[in-house]
Parts: sequence; C-alpha cells; structure tokens
Amino acid sequence: MERTPSASHITRRTLLRALAVVGLAGVSGPLLGPDAVPAQGNLGALQPEEKVEATMKRLFGSRPLKDGSSAIKLDMPLIAENGAVVPVTVEVQSPMTPADYVKHIYIISDKNRRPMNAKFTLTAAMGTALVGANLRLGETTDVRAVAELSDGTLLMAKREVKVTVGGCGG
Amino acid sequence: MAEIGKVRIRVPSSIKQGDVVRVRALVIHPMEIVQRRDGKPVDKNYHFIHKVVVTYNGREILAAETTQSVSENPFFAFTFRATEPGTLKIAFLDTHGGKYEGTVDIKFS
Amino acid sequence: MRFIRLSPMLGSVALGALALGCAGAATEVPDYGNVPKWTTRAIPEARGEFRVGPDGKRAAIRYRGWTTRDFGAFRTYAYDDTRPEPPVQKAAPPPGVTGDPKKGRALFMNRAKGPCTGCHLIPGDDVWPAGSVGPDQSTIGDRKLPDAYLYQLVYDPRLVFPNTSMPPWGTVGGLKPEEIVHLVAYLQTLKGPVPPEKDPHRNPFTRAKPVGFGDNLDPTNNPAVLRAEGAEALWAAKGPAGKACADCHQGGAVKAMRGVATRYPKFVKAYGRVMAIEDFLTVHGPETTGRPFPAQSADNLNMTMHVKMASNGMPVAVETTSPEARAALARGKASFYRRVGERNHACADCHTPEKGADKFLGGRLLGDASEGFTKHFPLWRTSQSDVWDMRKRFQWCMTPLGMNMLPADSIEYAELEMYLTTFDKGKPLSVPGIRH
Repeated sequence: MERTPSASHITRRTLLRALAVVGLAGVSGPLLGPDAVPAQGNLGALQPEEKVEATMKRLFGSRPLKDGSSAIKLDMPLIAENGAVVPVTVEVQSPMTPADYVKHIYIISDKNRRPMNAKFTLTAAMGTALVGANLRLGETTDVRAVAELSDGTLLMAKREVKVTVGGCGG
Repeated sequence: MAEIGKVRIRVPSSIKQGDVVRVRALVIHPMEIVQRRDGKPVDKNYHFIHKVVVTYNGREILAAETTQSVSENPFFAFTFRATEPGTLKIAFLDTHGGKYEGTVDIKFS
Repeated sequence: MRFIRLSPMLGSVALGALALGCAGAATEVPDYGNVPKWTTRAIPEARGEFRVGPDGKRAAIRYRGWTTRDFGAFRTYAYDDTRPEPPVQKAAPPPGVTGDPKKGRALFMNRAKGPCTGCHLIPGDDVWPAGSVGPDQSTIGDRKLPDAYLYQLVYDPRLVFPNTSMPPWGTVGGLKPEEIVHLVAYLQTLKGPVPPEKDPHRNPFTRAKPVGFGDNLDPTNNPAVLRAEGAEALWAAKGPAGKACADCHQGGAVKAMRGVATRYPKFVKAYGRVMAIEDFLTVHGPETTGRPFPAQSADNLNMTMHVKMASNGMPVAVETTSPEARAALARGKASFYRRVGERNHACADCHTPEKGADKFLGGRLLGDASEGFTKHFPLWRTSQSDVWDMRKRFQWCMTPLGMNMLPADSIEYAELEMYLTTFDKGKPLSVPGIRH
C-alpha cells in the first residue's frame, strides 16, 4: 500500500469554512450544437498520432523557440505514481497587461502517441499567466510547456516525469 | 457514469477587490481514450471534453482546447483578477454535444 | 453452470499463530472456536465464489478485469482453512541444464514471473521500476557463492532464511527448475564495480518518494467527495419498508452520525461478529429500510463515506479491551502475520518496518501498517477511477499474491481491518482519502 503525506488532518468542516465550494448551476445533457460531431466517428478530428517533432512543426512551423526555463515555472511531480493522473501547473512570468501578456500556453508530452495535451488561450484579465491541469502520460516522458507571448515570441521549458507502472498488484 | 458532468469550483472564501484569485475546477467525465484493434486506432465517436471556456461576467477570460491526453475527471486551475462582483462561469464542452457548466458568485469581503 | 461456495480444504496441521514463526507474531494465541458462520451479503463479484464450467474447471468470479484463475491449491485467510504453508523443500539444480545468463536476465525482468526486479535491483538502464524490498543484487557475482546455494535460495529460500519475505519460487511452481538455473547463471555474471548511476531515480535506494495526490477533502481534487454527496439523497429516501435512515437518525447524517465511525470496526453483539461500517450496512440497511446495501455496491460505499465523513477530524477510538475485541484482534493479528497464497506472503512481509515498509515494490512505496492504513478509507483510487474500501484493497492485494479472495464482508477481513485500525487509534479520520 502506498502513502501520501498526512496533510489531511483538516476536517471537512474546516475545509468548508476556508473555501467556498460551489456546485454546478446547470447541466444540459447531450445537445447537438455546433460542437457536436457526427455519430459515426471522430478519429479524424482528434489530435494526430505523431512524433513530438511533427507536433512541434505543425504548431510552430520554423518559428524560433527561445529557452523559457527561467520565465516558465513548470510544476510537476518528479515521479508520477500513476501516469493516468499527473498534475501539472504552468506559470509564465508576464505583466499580463493588454499590451504585454501570454496569449497561449501549450502543454505537450513527448512520448504520448498524440503528444498535444492541451492548448490554453489566455487574456490579460487573468492577472497571472497560470494554468493547471491533470495529464495522462503513457510512460516516462519529457513534458514541454510552450508559451506564446502577445508579441509572438515563443518560449519553451521542459521537465521529465518518471511514470511508474504497477508493482505487483499495486 | 451517473455523475458525468458534475462540476465543482473552488475559490478562496475571502476575496478583495483587485485580488488575483486562484480557481480550481473539477468535472466528472470519462475522457474516453482511443481504442485500438490489431494495433490500429478504431474510428468511433470518442467521448471527451475538447473545450473549456471560462467567462467572468460574460467576458471570456480563458479558453482551453483539450485532448484525450487530459485525465479522466479533469481538473483545471487558473487565476483571474477580481475587478468587480459578479459571476465566474466555467463551461466544459464534450464531443457528444454535452455542455456542463459550473458558476461561482464573486463577492468582496 | 453452477455456483459453489469457496470450500476450505482441511489439512493435517493445526493452525496457530505460533506455527507461523514470524517475529512479532500474535502474543495471544488466537481462538477460532467461537467465530460464527457468516453468509455473505456482497455483490456477486466480491463473494469469492466460483463458476464451474462444463469441463469441470473452476473459474473465480471476481471484479471485471481481474484474473479468474483459481488459486485453490494455496491457503487463504479463511479461519477454517487449516492447511499449512507449503513445506520447505531442499532442492538441487537439475542435471544436464546449462545456465544461459541472457535467458536468466530476461526471466529476472519478466513481469509475468516475479518480477524479480519488483524487489531486487540489477544493473541496466532498462530496469524500471526496480524495487528495494530485497537486497540489491548488482554485484552478487562478486560474492562467489556456489551455484547450488543460489539455486536453493531462489527455489526455496526458507531452508536458509526461515523468516524471509521471498516466495519459495520452485516449491510453489512459480519458476521451473531450468528457469532457476538460468537465473543463477545470470546472477553469477553480476560483478562490480557498478557504473555511476545516470539517473538517481532508477535506483530505488536513492529514488525520490512519491508526493501523493493532494488534499483528499477538496471536492475539486477528490472525485470520491462527489460520490459521497450522492448518499445524502439516499439517507433521506424511504426504502421498500417505508423508512429512511433519516427517520430514525434525526438531524441529518452529519449530526446523527457524528463520532459513530470512530468506533468501527467493532464487535456488534446483535450479529455476534466484528463489523466495519460497510459490514453493518449490509444487514442494518435492509432490516430497517428494506433497501439492500450489499458489500461493494455503490450504495454501500457511498453511504459508508457519508457516515464516516460525519466523524472527519475526530480521533479513531476503536475498542480494544473487551474479551470479544481482544479475541478478534488476536485473530486479526494472526492473519496479518499468516503466510498465504502461491507466493506464501504475509501482510507483514510488505507492511512492517522490519520488512518491506517504506521500501519500493517496483515503483510503489510500500506503506507501514504501524503508521495506520485505515483512517482514510474508503478512498478514491486514481489508478482505478473508483471508490474502494479497505476490503476491496485487501482483495486486490491478495489476488496477485495467488490466493483466492474471501467475501468482502467476511469476518476474517473485518478482524484484520480491526487489527489495522488499532494503529490509527487517536488519529483523526479523514474520509475519503485519495491514493494512486
């Protein structure tokens, strides 16, 4: 059996006092809007199965990618106990003003069959250029964060995440 | 999955005007992965969230295009500058036409 | 096709904790005389039952995706399973087989076998994730141990080390004699000096420890919290008998159930057995509301979380002094130290500090039972995307070790859980947890 830090000593009551946790306001079930796709299949509409080099070329062409290791904070566990849920937070240093902000953050996993995880489109109204998500990683891989600034500059940082697969029984 | 589309949003309980507020949101969703038969991907209508849109008093402040490389029951974290009281809304759109929304009232203390 | 109940096979050797030979085993001799028979009220896949095909072959009925292999040849935790562990065998390498180190390395790494790398480190960048439960074998060849000695250690190490955690691979048939010859040939090639480690995480002795999955009580982090909320409606909904939980337990679950879960598992006189909340619900739910709450059903798990969450933050206060509790704890402790299944493992092999606790089994850091396993169950398993209680975790742990599972609501599991809960005494409940 595996362990996590015993940071869970706060009670639910404490938690609810500290945070406003809000339920959903409205759910609409499947409705065929412009985002719906034909029922027969959407394989063609998915991210392509490709090497990460092809993904990078497709997304950024031959534009120069500058070293973003000091401007981008890529926060991930060194070792992911479970590749199916790997939390990542990307924070890019930026004044986030209408004149100078981060326009996009791309998260890309080198070894995934379909390397692109997510593309975020940010606005100055966010105050900081911070996004987080949980990623599926098929195996130990480099994860890249690419930031596209409002002036078109591309910055990149990457980090390796080790993915452990089951021990015996897990 | 009975809970599909359940959304939870978390913001700090105390927000002051002008704060940059950190938000976490979770949606219950299978984020179906591509299946393979004889090594080839099967063409079917995979069910996953492909778009997330965050609006603050109706103005879009963040959007995300998401893929199946995002986990089942995805969570997203981001910040926004709380300039005025109102409503923060997060909408999750999936490939089967589902739209799941959560909102949170932004009030100043 | 017919269904049969797991039937114990009677062995000739009497069972007793003292026969286990494990350091730190039960001090009180467990008494199995007064344990009642219990009819399981679990969902079909959690009852430990079998399906017998037209060819007479038994296939286990288990959860979807789990092996259906029948491990009936190996002993279990069932109190009426009095078979001894497989007798220690002295073994010699078979004549006429020449060891092939290449085959040996492939066997060492083969996940369908041990894998040996689950516990032992060997050189090679392709070794991931190796464990540290057993000794690092990177330079074992330097020790110039005789082939016959190494063969015996793999075949049945108990002859040399009676308290070893290593399975008797040859004795139980997990490895064939010629496979062990290849393994020995490979081990003899492992000589120092070991090249400097390119990646500190490859080596389980220097690997960073996993950091966990964040705040378990945050509903934007732990989907189990949302599942538990589903039980709020169930609490108020009238069952077929015309009654709801809320009709007798007034003031809402959070108020009515405050503190209740801290005392479970406990001996429940009305049923003559130890019960966790899950077990109690299987009988109390239908008796009062008419609604079934089978063990491992979503209703049972969600209601269990709902009830336990009412005690979150309160210290675990499991009762350990009554004669019934003491008897149950002696049996639970004996189970903890009892070697079972094809791999002849005891819980203690992996989960005590003297043995595997805080070491890596493959990529997993093994927990320490003495630090408490129970206060966050049921929990969300990120790797399974589902809520699991302690019993399913037991069943999951034991299946790859090669033993047939008991019903989720068995007395054996309840008393093992009660024993584990004693280590959480005084620590605050925090349900639902979140783990890998």
